[in-house]
Amino acid sequence: MDPITFSIIRHRLFRIVDEAVITLKHVSGSAITNEGHDLMVSLYRADGSLLMGGVGFLHHLTSAAEACKAIIRRFEGDINEGDIFLLNDPYTAALHTSDIYLVSPIHHEGRLVAWSACFVHVYDIGAMNPGGFAPDAQDIYTEGFSSPGIRLVEKGALRHDVMDTLLNMVRSPEMVSLDMRSMIACNNVARDRMLSLIGKYGYDTVDSACQELIDQSEELLRQRLAELPDGQWQSRQYLEVKDEVYEVFLTMTKKADELVFDFTGSSPQAAYSVNCTKWASLGGLFAPLFPLLCYDITWNEGVIRPITMIAPEGTIVNCTRPAPVSVATVGAIQSVNNAACSTIGKMLESSGKYREEATAVWHANHFAIFKFGRNQHGGEAIGIFTETFAGSGGARTFADGIDVGGEIPNPISRMANVETVEAGFPIRYLFRRRMTDSGGPGRYRGGAGMEFAVMPHDSPDGGINYVISGKGADFPMSDGLAGGYPGAPNRYVWVHNNEADADSRNVDPRFARSLDDMPGEQETVTWGVFPLMGEDALYVGWNGGGGYGDPLERDPEAVLEDCRTGVVSARSARDVYGVVLAEGGGAVDAAATEAARRSMYNERLYPEAAE
Amino acid sequence: MTTDAPQKRYIVATDVGGTCTDTIVVAPGEAFIMGKALSTPPNFADGVLDSIARAADQMGLSVEDLFAQTYLFMHGSTVVDNTLLTRGGAPTGLITTAGFEDTVFVTRGAYGRWAGQPEDWIKHPVASDRPAPLIPEDAVCGVPERVDYKGAVLQPLDEAETERAVRRLVGEKKVEAIAVAFLWSFYNAENEQKARDIVKRVAPEAYVTLSSEIAPVPGEYERSSTAVINAYAGGIANRYLTDLKTQLGERGYSGPVMVMQGYGGLLPSQEAADRAVGMIECGPAAGVIGAKALGDLMGDADVIAADMGGTTFKVGVIQNGEIEYAREPLVDRYHYVAPKIEVVSIGAGGGSIVSLDPRTNVPRVGPQSAGADPGPVCYGRGGTAVTLTDVFTLIGYMDPDIFLGGAMTLDIEAARAAFKAQVADRLGMPVEEAAFGIFRVASAQVTDLIHEITVERGLDPRDYVLHAFGGSCPILASSFAAELNVKRIVVPYTAAVNCALGLVSADIVHEYSVTTTLPGDTDPATINALYAPMIEKARAQLAAEGFAEADTALDWSIDLRYARQVHEVTTPVYGVTPMDGAALKGLIDDFEALYERKYGKGSAYREAGIEMTLFRLSASGKLQRPDIEPLPLEGPDAGHALTGRREIFVDARNGMAPADVYDFTRIRPGNEIAGPAVIHTPITTIVVQDAQRARMDELRNIVIDFR
Repeated sequence: MDPITFSIIRHRLFRIVDEAVITLKHVSGSAITNEGHDLMVSLYRADGSLLMGGVGFLHHLTSAAEACKAIIRRFEGDINEGDIFLLNDPYTAALHTSDIYLVSPIHHEGRLVAWSACFVHVYDIGAMNPGGFAPDAQDIYTEGFSSPGIRLVEKGALRHDVMDTLLNMVRSPEMVSLDMRSMIACNNVARDRMLSLIGKYGYDTVDSACQELIDQSEELLRQRLAELPDGQWQSRQYLEVKDEVYEVFLTMTKKADELVFDFTGSSPQAAYSVNCTKWASLGGLFAPLFPLLCYDITWNEGVIRPITMIAPEGTIVNCTRPAPVSVATVGAIQSVNNAACSTIGKMLESSGKYREEATAVWHANHFAIFKFGRNQHGGEAIGIFTETFAGSGGARTFADGIDVGGEIPNPISRMANVETVEAGFPIRYLFRRRMTDSGGPGRYRGGAGMEFAVMPHDSPDGGINYVISGKGADFPMSDGLAGGYPGAPNRYVWVHNNEADADSRNVDPRFARSLDDMPGEQETVTWGVFPLMGEDALYVGWNGGGGYGDPLERDPEAVLEDCRTGVVSARSARDVYGVVLAEGGGAVDAAATEAARRSMYNERLYPEAAE
Repeated sequence: MTTDAPQKRYIVATDVGGTCTDTIVVAPGEAFIMGKALSTPPNFADGVLDSIARAADQMGLSVEDLFAQTYLFMHGSTVVDNTLLTRGGAPTGLITTAGFEDTVFVTRGAYGRWAGQPEDWIKHPVASDRPAPLIPEDAVCGVPERVDYKGAVLQPLDEAETERAVRRLVGEKKVEAIAVAFLWSFYNAENEQKARDIVKRVAPEAYVTLSSEIAPVPGEYERSSTAVINAYAGGIANRYLTDLKTQLGERGYSGPVMVMQGYGGLLPSQEAADRAVGMIECGPAAGVIGAKALGDLMGDADVIAADMGGTTFKVGVIQNGEIEYAREPLVDRYHYVAPKIEVVSIGAGGGSIVSLDPRTNVPRVGPQSAGADPGPVCYGRGGTAVTLTDVFTLIGYMDPDIFLGGAMTLDIEAARAAFKAQVADRLGMPVEEAAFGIFRVASAQVTDLIHEITVERGLDPRDYVLHAFGGSCPILASSFAAELNVKRIVVPYTAAVNCALGLVSADIVHEYSVTTTLPGDTDPATINALYAPMIEKARAQLAAEGFAEADTALDWSIDLRYARQVHEVTTPVYGVTPMDGAALKGLIDDFEALYERKYGKGSAYREAGIEMTLFRLSASGKLQRPDIEPLPLEGPDAGHALTGRREIFVDARNGMAPADVYDFTRIRPGNEIAGPAVIHTPITTIVVQDAQRARMDELRNIVIDFR
């Protein structure tokens, strides 16, 4: 095929996905879809293999391919023009029940030529806790509606019986109905545009361009892998739920032009809903792989071919039915993301040519906190704290990570304004700012995360409730690279100002400027449903990105600048970076810094002598 | 405002663009006079006077003579864009609500990192940073104060702390400008105003911007960012306009100076001077206003306005006579909120460099540009990288001998050699065939952009007329317009100075707004009460500017949304104002229709109810301007303008074919030309493809119809 037609068709395929994403956001109108960009739209070939991955939550590109394949298996011979199928069973293909896939066959002149698939995190799925993440779930049966494949639209006509059955099982059915409508509209747009592309260039030309596109991606990734050194890299990720600690253990082996991700050695499946099914793990390892290794390669089936995953059954990365999985996307999937990011980073870092592409782990730890209750206007409100989408960048081999810079698996997320949240929920922010010492120390520092605190405000019920499925409060998760330290762990604190004794109230908790300012007792909360009432506050701090290289090699002037802006404390400057500031903190004491660093090197070499 | 008109007959309008400064002079019963000069950053006023001198020259007048007979000067300038682009603003500080000092730096997470960036950037997070902030991180001071979501002051401003903050910013940080941005200040500006009083007292020389005045809308990140940008560039914009007015005065101009705003209206210079953000991208906005004016004149309510110069392709849409406004505007990657006409762009112009992906050989045009200097290879000024203009030359679209009206000749052989080595040989294709391909890639890139702002927003290009402006657009338009299937193409007579034409077509427009949330079934009296103070202010303002009430218009529009949805739609009030029940019902119906048109069928969510969130008043004063007089139409024969015949690339035939070559300056209204043909004008070439027919209308526009 001539490179020009090929280039035009490739570009058009990307535009199709982009336009479908816009349709999805327009129709949905919800905050998690519009601010968090917690969505995905992609095109698949007739056999369900990935043709054009869109920029959304990248965990889903491969599992939606599996969803297409599962529909093909189940409905073979009965897949008609204008049909749309729903699938959200994690043991068939999905990540968790609340991320519903709608997949539509695209027919041209009666022949099935492609699929489009999309998902949004629906407003509710009828799990035991509102909002989709169900920390209290014991098994998949308590995680809401789940289908291994059902026809929602038949030859262009909505099956009201199916839709009404679904809506009958969820909270806020009108909002879920809107989510469903947005996905239907999105698939319709993708189908129409795909057909007009075929109409313009002809089926054969488009088909061979698609084939060539996939072959080209495979060839480019194989070339890239061949240029990288052979070797084996490992990563361990720990996640805790209540008193249990689970481990995701990854060994990545690169040989010639292939990569094998082996999770042998990971923990047995958990009693809690942080588990991954194998589709979730596969998605979890591809999410960082696309942007880290294929930033200039089209994301499609060709990229998947050189990659193999080994995930032993019965483990936290390949659980067996009926283990609960509703928290997977912010649970073990993230551990898989992090481990893959970490091993890929180590591989890139050991290459001369690709060193600049290496990165420490970014925002490794989502905090899914859904607030719900009656708001100041008398309406029911459910919504995630979109701050979790604000993220933080991992340090790079040539620069610091980006403060509050997002995350790798979801490249175009953002958080809502404080004013937007306060307008719709009966809460008020006390502060929202970068968290001191959150970015992983290193020669290049990990990007900072943030901290915020909220308090009830004008609530008709005296406050609201929230569902939290937090983790990473005990163990840092955003690993550093090449001697860099990890980012700080997350913190979730319930401050009991209501019970604080009047004498201890040297500061009015309503205008507290920091966690330390607040008079109430502090209780760490991570898992379950909790109230937020009266003058109590909820404090959340999230991890920064991992650092790169030895913090003792960081330019002291950069450490001074970090102290000046509050991103690093004077204590960390001294104890972690070995940088001593002159009296008043306005300058680096060069001699004292050199001495401090020398003695810290010595302690590392001769730890016994230091004791 | 209109009293001088009988004695003084001219309106002079000058638009300062990135490369050129264009002037247009309008007088009753006279053809437009146009002048073009190079822009002269950072002393843009020099270029303004050069450009006016060129126009005056053509009239046989001196600048002083022209000014003596001029009653109105209209102006658009890139000065603010340039200040941001070159980081040439004042050292600026920010005073904000304590606890929220980082708002402008963290840009709502990755939003400030990816907003407005192309696919290849978004797919490559490791290589993508935010732009460096306009203010140093330690020039932000949080002060205790708090207002809540309903505008109640929970905590009054800590004045002592604010005074300390001002002293620190001015004393230690040496700032010359201060932005003040507090939470919820758009509902209750009391604390921001108190802070300004303190700045005025402690540091009277500092330039101050309040977020509640420059951007009185919800969303603290965007509002704070706007205040920072305005403070940063405000001093320069202010000095520029003052200085320009003085220089114009020295050359004898004593009338008002009207300054173009990004929303397509003009403001008197003294008012514009305090709203630097209003001037951002006012040139492209004027371009859309110019297209609208021409569309109105020609009876076309639906217009796609496309402008392609040396480095960028810009496009805006006029739908049913209404202009589309940008929702999340960016300037040089910084977010701001100000009413602004939506104009989207890509880095594709005549100077865009043609490159091949080193690994896959996939061709691409832009976004890198050879600019005007050294420019394309064929200019023979030392440019070595192949550009789109070189490709145009190879496929017969440029006349090597009379480029720019004969001011320059083109080196076609140099272009061919460079293209062969850099592109054709690497593609393994003959030069001509490769050049056709590159032309089609450029055409596809432009088509995709137009698709993005039409089809992807529910608009069908088949209902639209395409206006092609700028030096390169009329070359490409006949190809991409055919693919988009637009109704017809218009290459305006004023294509070369379209933005200046837009200035002449604009009116004085003041924008006011109040933010508050009301349900859709609110009593109209409540809404009218919100408007009363705005109307009073607007009337006083227009009266002070000398407008008789008959020459003014007050247009109401309201932002509505479905409850629990995030998308708001600005909906004009077409019923009576102050509103009655019928007007409100009409507004709600219009909103629902607009919403579905914008976001697609089935997107409306009526069950949750409708809310009104922003109440806007647009107060305009109509400026007196001469009507454009049509010329008499002559017969269709254009033989007198035919200068020869030459092979050009004909899209539908996918090859070179003989075409007639015409001299624009000899074509007369009513003449018709059948494609394939090329028409050389003093500044550009108009390509007429096979199966298309061009004619000159009574306003000297070239109209291309598809047969």
